Amino acid sequence: MNVMLYSMEIAMVLSGLGILMLDLGTPARGKRDLGYLAAFLMSLLLLQSVFMPEVQDGFSLLSSGHSITEGPGYKLDAFARYFKHLFLLAAILVLLMAVDFAGTLRARLAEFFALVLFALTGMSAAASATNFITLFVSIELITVSFYVLTSFQRGQMRSLEAGVKYLILGAAASAVLVYGIALVYGATGSMEFAALGKACPSAEHDHLLRLGLLLVIAGLGFKIAAFPFQIWVPDVYQGAPAPVTAFLAVGSKAAGFALLMRLCHHLRPDLRELTLTVLAALAGATILYGSLCALRQRNLKRLFGYAGIASAGYLLLGLLALNAQPGASPSGAQGCHAMMFYLAGYLIAVMAAFTVLCHLDGEDEDLSVLAGLHARSPLLATVLTLSVVSMAGLPPLMGFLGKFLLLQSAFEVLSPHPAQLWLMVVALGGVVISLYYYFGILRAIYWGGGISPGRPAGESEAITVPPLARLLLIACGLILLWVGIFPQALLEWLGDAVALFR
Amino acid sequence: MHALLTLILSFAGALACGLMPAGRARQIRWVALAFASLGLLTALHCALRYGGSGVADEVDWPWIPSLGARLAFGYDGISLPLLLVTGLVAVCGVLFTWELKERANEFYAYYFALVGGVYGVFLSRDLFLLFVFYEIAVVPKYFLIAIWGGTRKDYAAMKLVLYSFAGSALVLLGLLGLYFGANASTFTLQELSQASLSAPLQYVVFPLLFVGFAVLAGMWPFHTWAPTGHVAAPTAASMLLAGVVMKLGAYGCLRVAIGLLPLGAKVWAPWVAALAVVNIVYGALVALRQTDFKFVIGYSSVSHMGFVLLGLATLTQTGLTGAVLQMFSHGVIGALLFALVGAVIYSRTHTRQLEEFHLLIARMPVIAWVFILAGLASMGLPGFSGFAAELHVLMGAWQSPWVSAGLVVLAGAGVVATFGYTLVKIHEAFFRPRVASGSSDKEGLYEPMTAAEIAGCALLLGSSLLVGLFPSLLTDKMQASLKLIVDRLNEAR
Repeated sequence: MNVMLYSMEIAMVLSGLGILMLDLGTPARGKRDLGYLAAFLMSLLLLQSVFMPEVQDGFSLLSSGHSITEGPGYKLDAFARYFKHLFLLAAILVLLMAVDFAGTLRARLAEFFALVLFALTGMSAAASATNFITLFVSIELITVSFYVLTSFQRGQMRSLEAGVKYLILGAAASAVLVYGIALVYGATGSMEFAALGKACPSAEHDHLLRLGLLLVIAGLGFKIAAFPFQIWVPDVYQGAPAPVTAFLAVGSKAAGFALLMRLCHHLRPDLRELTLTVLAALAGATILYGSLCALRQRNLKRLFGYAGIASAGYLLLGLLALNAQPGASPSGAQGCHAMMFYLAGYLIAVMAAFTVLCHLDGEDEDLSVLAGLHARSPLLATVLTLSVVSMAGLPPLMGFLGKFLLLQSAFEVLSPHPAQLWLMVVALGGVVISLYYYFGILRAIYWGGGISPGRPAGESEAITVPPLARLLLIACGLILLWVGIFPQALLEWLGDAVALFR
Repeated sequence: MHALLTLILSFAGALACGLMPAGRARQIRWVALAFASLGLLTALHCALRYGGSGVADEVDWPWIPSLGARLAFGYDGISLPLLLVTGLVAVCGVLFTWELKERANEFYAYYFALVGGVYGVFLSRDLFLLFVFYEIAVVPKYFLIAIWGGTRKDYAAMKLVLYSFAGSALVLLGLLGLYFGANASTFTLQELSQASLSAPLQYVVFPLLFVGFAVLAGMWPFHTWAPTGHVAAPTAASMLLAGVVMKLGAYGCLRVAIGLLPLGAKVWAPWVAALAVVNIVYGALVALRQTDFKFVIGYSSVSHMGFVLLGLATLTQTGLTGAVLQMFSHGVIGALLFALVGAVIYSRTHTRQLEEFHLLIARMPVIAWVFILAGLASMGLPGFSGFAAELHVLMGAWQSPWVSAGLVVLAGAGVVATFGYTLVKIHEAFFRPRVASGSSDKEGLYEPMTAAEIAGCALLLGSSLLVGLFPSLLTDKMQASLKLIVDRLNEAR
């Protein structure tokens, strides 16, 4: 076993355990500092991983090999590393957000920070998974951590409700997933993703394989919140504490997509015909459902939830390229390229938006809490505007190029079959619809006085933002703008990460 | 490098105005005027230097190699009049909102972001870049209308955004079709125009691109955002919307749809011509029935844009010249009319309902005569730019094999209808005693025009007159660039 393969995950778990230990000796006033500590440790890990990747490709301790798996089920390639960076970045932002949010959390903070790190470990492992065992274990690690995190505000009914909903639906999804894995194993006799590329011994086996594959996609569909596995999203997003919602929206979704990408990469050409149709249908339905449901939504977290569903639909468009026949004109790499760029932009935009939400007062996240924000805090207003405009996919922000690349790759996949171009129409229709609700947020920020009768227009007291959060918000805004205008550096970096899909 | 300065100045202006404190409205408007004037001077300098053929001030930097998108800028004879009109309208927009106090810093930030996006579209020599600038304008437009707007501003702003973005979605689809059809992995106009595109592809992609762009040009039946948007927008924004934003759409139709897809253009031109004539006649007739003065101008814009579209549909040198000239002409005149109705007259009467006006000719004689002059220019009276433009368009339409004679006759009838509604509305606005009862409006003289208003009117009316008297100032510069497009149309089989 090559321990260095897992060095990042080990560091994450140890940090989490360390936080729990330190909690015992920390006075109540100092608990917040544990969050800073966790964020600091993760930043170190991120820096180390970005600037000294070779340290991780170390030596082998034990020979690998197990009865049902053929390798460690684990790969630390450029692809995995890119996702690990994304997850680390998300976790750092979430931890810092949670420190500012601590006042409303009113619960044991150290556990919160530790659970975020454990969920991060799961996501990080998912990025490396190359067999179904690692897949399942990492998914469960993420999900179980989130069961607790979503219901962390134990005093609030809504948070508890979110926890219960996530638990029950999540458990059902896990059951589906594990059943699918069992069927695939039964058909191929191997737990490796690579076995999906080999022919089955008989036609019956092949049927089992197809059924199992669909169930696995359904189970992962729960993670990425694709229609029709999205029912949990609005309630959970609304009930969970804001930092958790942000982590769920970004991390959990990205982990699901990382797994789907690895999985689809190995599929046999004849299986791809099936998955292409299924994923195209899922993408279309997800985009439409998310966009239409968000239209009348007034609760910000629910709104972002539905918007996140629509985003999952756009991301699925990129996955289509991986499921095209081998040798077709867009290589799978191109689709993954688009997805990974989109995810990076989505991460920054969502984190910025939720950081802004954390600094707004008001128990409910009704759109009216944004009233007069432009006067109360121009910084929060500007950053939220940038983030919303980026999510809407307008230039010159990151979200524009992300959506453009996804649509471009989907168009290339679908253009040989003109009958399937309906999906492009649906996707573009979804973009147009989405402007309505995204601009509704902008409206609330800049002239949204008197939307709700109880709240007078233009409350004038300024919102003070702590210096660190201010710095992060400015950084997020600048990144959205800078990478949106000059995307080449990130695109080139991604070029290495998707090399394995070529 | 000079032409890029317009773009840089606009975004710098947006930044400078946005960062100034809101309370300093006086300083902000001088800063805004300075940036806008520098932009106009740059555009004028470009116009004087332009030799009459080819692409001037070309720059070409790599941008996103994996897409084949480049930061390619430059201008030719088609962009040039539009750069000029953008500069003119940008300066006059500042002049006519001289009294703006509320959130002035933000206002000018969005204003210049919009102007910068417009300059960017006219200067782009790369299709992806052009699309990016085309889209950049969406957010500032929304804010300008929805924050500082008037009548039903929320509705109008959202409608404008959704319409223009739906158009963009079609453009995007067409763009992708073009990109993959050309199989050249490039977005530069230069290389795309040399790519050989199959005829069936052109037939499919042309309507996507043309209709997508034409939504912003106010083509019937996708014009409905225009009157509501223009009416709701604050004066400076409605001047920009009518003056230059509608031209973005028409420019896209000419540069991208017709310029890159000659076979598609030939097949669809008769349909475009028919819709254009509907625009002319329908816009004029609806304008005749309006009681809100700003709606009259809004629908007259729709009607005038019909002439641009008709000129495009002719696919002849004369007709295209007329189309570009009409873009300039309507940019100047439309902006002037919106300024007069939305700012100059409204700030004095505090109403835009025609039946509440009471003998304005006696009470604001100078303003009334300026408006009458502007109205005559809008009608296309000889001596004003509109005459030269409409003449070119109608002559081109008569020569063109793609526009049937019946349509030309109908378009001529549209000209008559334009005369009709302009004269009727001038009568109703200035020469008629009050029709509505119960208005608290005092009798007596209104205040005279302010210096800023006089400067703005002189600039716009003067440029219309100058181009009307010497159309060759602009048309000479366009010929070579338009000839390239016409030659491609003739060669395409």
